[in-house]
Amino acid sequence: MSAKAPSLPLRLPSSTVLIWLLALFASALPWLGKLPVDALLAAIWAPNTDDFSQVLVHYSWAPRLAMALLIGSGLGLAGAVLQQILRNPLASPTTLGVESGAQLAIAIATVYLPGLMALSPDLTAVTGGILGTGLVIALTWRLGFSPVTVILAGMVVSFFLGAINAAFMLFHGEYLGNLFIWGAGSLVQNDWNQFQTLSPRVVVLAIALVLLMRPLQLLQLGADSAKALGARVTALRLLAMLLVILLTASVVSRVGVVAFVGLAAPALARLLGARTLAQHLLWSTLLGAGLLLLADALAQWATAWADGNLVPTGTATALIGGPILLLALRGMKNDRHMPGQASEPASFTPERKPLALPLIALLVVLALVVVLAIAWSPTLSGWQWTAISNWDQAWDWRGPRLLAALVAGVVLAIAGTLIQRLTGNVMASPEVLGISGGAALAMVVLSLMGLNPGRAGQLLAGSLGGAAVLTLLFALSRRHRFSGHQLLLGGVAVYVFMDAGIRMVLSGGGTEANKLLTWLSGSTWLVTETEALALALVAAALVAVTALVSRVLTILPLGEPTALSLGLRVPLARAGVLLIAALLTAAATIIIGPLSFVGLMAPHLARLLGQQTVARQMLLAAIIGAALLTLADYLSRVVMYPNQLPAGILAAIVGGTYFLWGLSRHDRR
Amino acid sequence: MPSFFQIRHLDVEIASTSILRDISLDFHDGEVTALLGHNGSGKSTLLKVLARQLEPSGGELALQGDAFGTLGQRDFARQVGFLPQYTPATDGLTVRELVALGRYPWKGPLGRYRDEDQRLIDQAIDDTGLQAFAQRSVDTLSGGERQRAWIAMLLAQQTRCLLLDEPISALDVLHQVETLRLIQRLAEQRELTVVMVLHDVDLAARFCDRLVALKAGAVTADGTPAQIMNEQVLESIYSVPMGVMERAPGQWVSYVH
Repeated sequence: MSAKAPSLPLRLPSSTVLIWLLALFASALPWLGKLPVDALLAAIWAPNTDDFSQVLVHYSWAPRLAMALLIGSGLGLAGAVLQQILRNPLASPTTLGVESGAQLAIAIATVYLPGLMALSPDLTAVTGGILGTGLVIALTWRLGFSPVTVILAGMVVSFFLGAINAAFMLFHGEYLGNLFIWGAGSLVQNDWNQFQTLSPRVVVLAIALVLLMRPLQLLQLGADSAKALGARVTALRLLAMLLVILLTASVVSRVGVVAFVGLAAPALARLLGARTLAQHLLWSTLLGAGLLLLADALAQWATAWADGNLVPTGTATALIGGPILLLALRGMKNDRHMPGQASEPASFTPERKPLALPLIALLVVLALVVVLAIAWSPTLSGWQWTAISNWDQAWDWRGPRLLAALVAGVVLAIAGTLIQRLTGNVMASPEVLGISGGAALAMVVLSLMGLNPGRAGQLLAGSLGGAAVLTLLFALSRRHRFSGHQLLLGGVAVYVFMDAGIRMVLSGGGTEANKLLTWLSGSTWLVTETEALALALVAAALVAVTALVSRVLTILPLGEPTALSLGLRVPLARAGVLLIAALLTAAATIIIGPLSFVGLMAPHLARLLGQQTVARQMLLAAIIGAALLTLADYLSRVVMYPNQLPAGILAAIVGGTYFLWGLSRHDRR
Repeated sequence: MPSFFQIRHLDVEIASTSILRDISLDFHDGEVTALLGHNGSGKSTLLKVLARQLEPSGGELALQGDAFGTLGQRDFARQVGFLPQYTPATDGLTVRELVALGRYPWKGPLGRYRDEDQRLIDQAIDDTGLQAFAQRSVDTLSGGERQRAWIAMLLAQQTRCLLLDEPISALDVLHQVETLRLIQRLAEQRELTVVMVLHDVDLAARFCDRLVALKAGAVTADGTPAQIMNEQVLESIYSVPMGVMERAPGQWVSYVH
């Protein structure tokens, strides 16, 4: 070892310069065809008002460029500081719910408190950001801030707030049309106004953060040692956190959610070799600016490709965010755990109970929901019962969607059981692992390619998409052996990627896209009777096959060595279960969309009700799933009568809450 | 004695690091063997190769004369049982359900459990003294009881051989001795071939018929406890000067100088 301090690796500055050059070039390319370079540069400051191109450069391209650089560097810095104060290499404004909280607050304020919005959009956004982060921190407070758990909670809080936001937009579409694009993070500019108001805030907050560097450095040693060195740890953390939220919220209130830049920039800086805190802050800032500019150029290209349908920059950043999260996760050791136990969630063994009681109770509940859904509904003249003699007519209207929801519930519950057994992880599910996201993406791509494959084709494509995602997860998580939250977070990252992909593809889709969007939020009202019956048949066949493998499903959670030594051909068994799970998920996704969480809730509830063996768990889960989704379908039809809400969104709101509750429950022990 | 496992010129490389080099060894029918050696000597790797958990990079292995490659996964599992060093979480299974999984190699995914199977399961639970815990969840048991539950599963598997990777490393002294006594007794009653990785050389000498020591991926000593338990051999195995006292016939105490 030489006495010289390790020097900065050359690849850090060189990669940064490369990204900047690439981004600048990609962004300027469309203009280079119209203007010579010197005229282009001159037009940034002083356009010749007779030349339309030059005017556009001055009032649209240049401010957009400046905004991308400003916001990117701000978010990069914010992410780096957050990672330092939480000592968590996955922390960022996106993964802690700051951005989605701010977004929801603005949506709500626009409708109910327009005065407040006119007064100060920042104040609204900051409040929302604090509430979003507060929710994440409150959920994980007792869990000792294990890095992966905090981020998992943060991502699910983001989904959850996003689902509420989506529901809100559907209620108040007439007010929120602009918010829709804004919410996805659009950097489109018409003049220098926004840049002029935003830049002083970002600069002041950034300076304040840099001034905190010395005490922040102490935090690297851990809270106890930092305290021993005289730092006021809690106050310091709160202050830095507040500054970060202020910075992020002022960005969100102007351009919407620009997801993942605050995660990607520090992660990249670390991968490229930034070591000290100062290096971290500096290079995260520079990389953030470069990355956002690059993503923005990408979004502009995609917009051009999509015939002028706007592709928001936030979508492009989310597209790169998923892979970066996976990359960061792979390099990370969850070092708060003992080596032997890895990071497995605490074993989950609620007391066993007899089957009969919960079975009968749930069947009664299911029957009640079905009767309610058929017979009791609001009309323009108040709530009314449909007489039994008229039920056959009621069935024509309400039957197909009811049946479809019921089938989807059963199918998702079984798929969830399979996946929880396959991965040996009680918090896994088709939704959380991004399998339904993969299925949905495959179906969307198929539809937009102009093919009309019918339900059978959709089912096939969806299964392939779902199976591809599950295989990818297997490959990525070999090292962790599916242990605990790392797998879940990997799945969430895949879901983010799929979701961004869907949005990206949809933005070029015109009217077809609108239909798909309705379908993706899980709108059961599109289902016809023939389709519902056909799906029921497919589902019945798949469920019958599943019943045959229950012994295999008992062995798989015990891990590969045990399964091998019991003579199970593990790769074959896994592939089989994986295939069935993918098919089931695809069948359900066609009806209810990708994010309902029923596949998580139903098997988990079945275990809470004391059914631990595979066959009993599956039976009970299927009934719970059916009851949950029929209820969601019924409520989605009546709560907003005469308007309708997609059942999938309703299920996602309930399911997200359940997931967070389950997460905190499992870690406490 | 006929050989149960036959190993010829076994090589194992993991990520281009050589773990085992040119090992030729026989494990005999009905013999209780301990694998000794310091950390990283390759003893766990050897055990995993015997259990077919790990593909060797070279050499031939045979189980009672049949080459490893010719045996199906379930055929193999009917003859060889393996207990990993860290037993996994059991996901809410009761002791009896865990033990019943031992019948999988014989019944496959669909075969019905008959009275004979139930009897074997009960027998395995009796033999390990777990009658009182049969309906308890495995995850709620203490370390020693859990270890016994897993051994019971291997018994229900009705194999002729047990491969145990550090079966007592997580137990206190009392449970260490109890577990080894159990293994010794079962091996005798059921005429089992046992190969286990052990760290405690004194306990190994006390409970095993044969000691095999590995060092840097090669066999450095192989013999009965009486042949191994002397100062020169132990020093060559562990690379520290050691002394040995024989307190009573078959009971040695080794110590570090």
